[in-house]
Amino acid sequence: MTRIIFLFVCAVVALGLTGCKLVKNVPEDEKAIAADASGDNARTDQRITDTFHTKLLPYVRDRALTFAALRAALAQGLDVAGEAHGNRGSGAGAAWNFALTGTGVIVSAKLDTRARVADLDMDGDGAADVTVQLGPVIRGNALRDIAPFYNFDDFRDQIEFAKLGRALNDQISGAIQLPEGDLIGQPMTFTGVVPLKKADEAIIVTPISVEVTP
Amino acid sequence: MNIKRRLLITAMAVGVFGATTGLAASAATIAIITPSHDNPFFKAEADGAAAKAKELGYDTMVLVHDDDANKQSELFDTVIAAGVAAIILDNAGADASVSAVQKAKDAGIPSFLIDREITATGVAVSQIVSNNYQGAQLGAEEFVKLMGEKGTYAELVGKESDTNAGIRSQGYHDVIDQYPDLELVAKQTANWSQTEAYSVMETMLQANPGIKGVISGNDTMAMGARAALEAAGRNDVIVVGFDGSNDVRDSILAGGIKATVLQPAYQQAQLAVSQADQYIKTGSTGLDEKQLMDCVLINADNAGKLETFALSN
Repeated sequence: MTRIIFLFVCAVVALGLTGCKLVKNVPEDEKAIAADASGDNARTDQRITDTFHTKLLPYVRDRALTFAALRAALAQGLDVAGEAHGNRGSGAGAAWNFALTGTGVIVSAKLDTRARVADLDMDGDGAADVTVQLGPVIRGNALRDIAPFYNFDDFRDQIEFAKLGRALNDQISGAIQLPEGDLIGQPMTFTGVVPLKKADEAIIVTPISVEVTP
Repeated sequence: MNIKRRLLITAMAVGVFGATTGLAASAATIAIITPSHDNPFFKAEADGAAAKAKELGYDTMVLVHDDDANKQSELFDTVIAAGVAAIILDNAGADASVSAVQKAKDAGIPSFLIDREITATGVAVSQIVSNNYQGAQLGAEEFVKLMGEKGTYAELVGKESDTNAGIRSQGYHDVIDQYPDLELVAKQTANWSQTEAYSVMETMLQANPGIKGVISGNDTMAMGARAALEAAGRNDVIVVGFDGSNDVRDSILAGGIKATVLQPAYQQAQLAVSQADQYIKTGSTGLDEKQLMDCVLINADNAGKLETFALSN
């Protein structure tokens, strides 16, 4: 009787040890992420790793319109332009987002703020046509909302969804470098995303790349 | 024996038929359940839903749960027993409401949620909520601008049990905390209440007389804070709210409160009823369960166009 119990205990111990080994063999990147709010940051990091360089940046670059093309598209009406070239953020009332690329001359800039911006003349008439956000504070969620592969239904809630928007902005914010000195009159080349709720709304670019080339 | 059996079958058929007609007759009613109409926001929701339901040819049962999950559960029993065709709900708690909505689903009655999310998916047909986080970011961006990116400020937080209180606070800080010269010197809940906000603001002012701004989780608290500031002769303090109520609109137009964020409550409730109608008629809304609605910044530029939680063009 005691022997049987002993064997049984041995078996349990052996099984237990096997269990331990299995746990140890789970690869680092397959560790379970908590399903509740405490897992938000881990999931956000994972999404950035999985998509930012490999999917989002190429997606924006490939779809980027020139300023003239965007203006021509918008002349057909915002919804028509959006269906053809843009992506709508999640939910009613959300903006259409368009990728835009080009070079313009800086006609004015606001740099004494945490949310720096430069206004560019794109068509040579001397008037500002677009405003490029230069950080370090980047407003809005244009980078998230242009991508059809970030779908609100795949997120735990609006907080987790917002965290991705912020994390994407932070990726950009850290990468923007501006030359010293006066920017006025300098040409700036950018690629980025423009969110629009109305066809005649001010064009504000959240960039994925910015270069000032004197 | 045979006759008896036939009678029985006939009786059953009548019973089934009777039940069916009963359902068909009550299929014309939509239940609208929200928190108390004392807060004009919830009244706007109920009014918007009722108006849309009437327009689409439904009768309505308009009920309030007073943010009491037990009462909400009883109301669900009532409307299930009444055999309503659909339920429009602004719920009484993200966790506590799941079982009530499930109960309706088990009874074959679809629920369409507005304003507040619940913590489960696949139970309600639609969850249409304002993007409170996006709205809070808008309010905070305006607040930062008004503050000139620097100075000390206080925050009034909503009722802790309401998920939107936390979401808005996080949205505010997501933006404001990126400005190192803005310093939070006091943060306290006033439970969405105007009177509570008044006394909390008085205390905050005594402890922090140099305060330059107040950001509030909703409009009723913003109104309370503004009243306390006025009483203390501090009209210079910048106050920003959230909801887009007519009271705050009037304050903005009079140069009091500086800004708020409109939740399109009226439109949201109408959207929920349209989706319920679609679902009743076709068995599907054709849309994702979870749907966001963007909020809109209200300041002196557009406050004049605001009326009962809706912005005219």
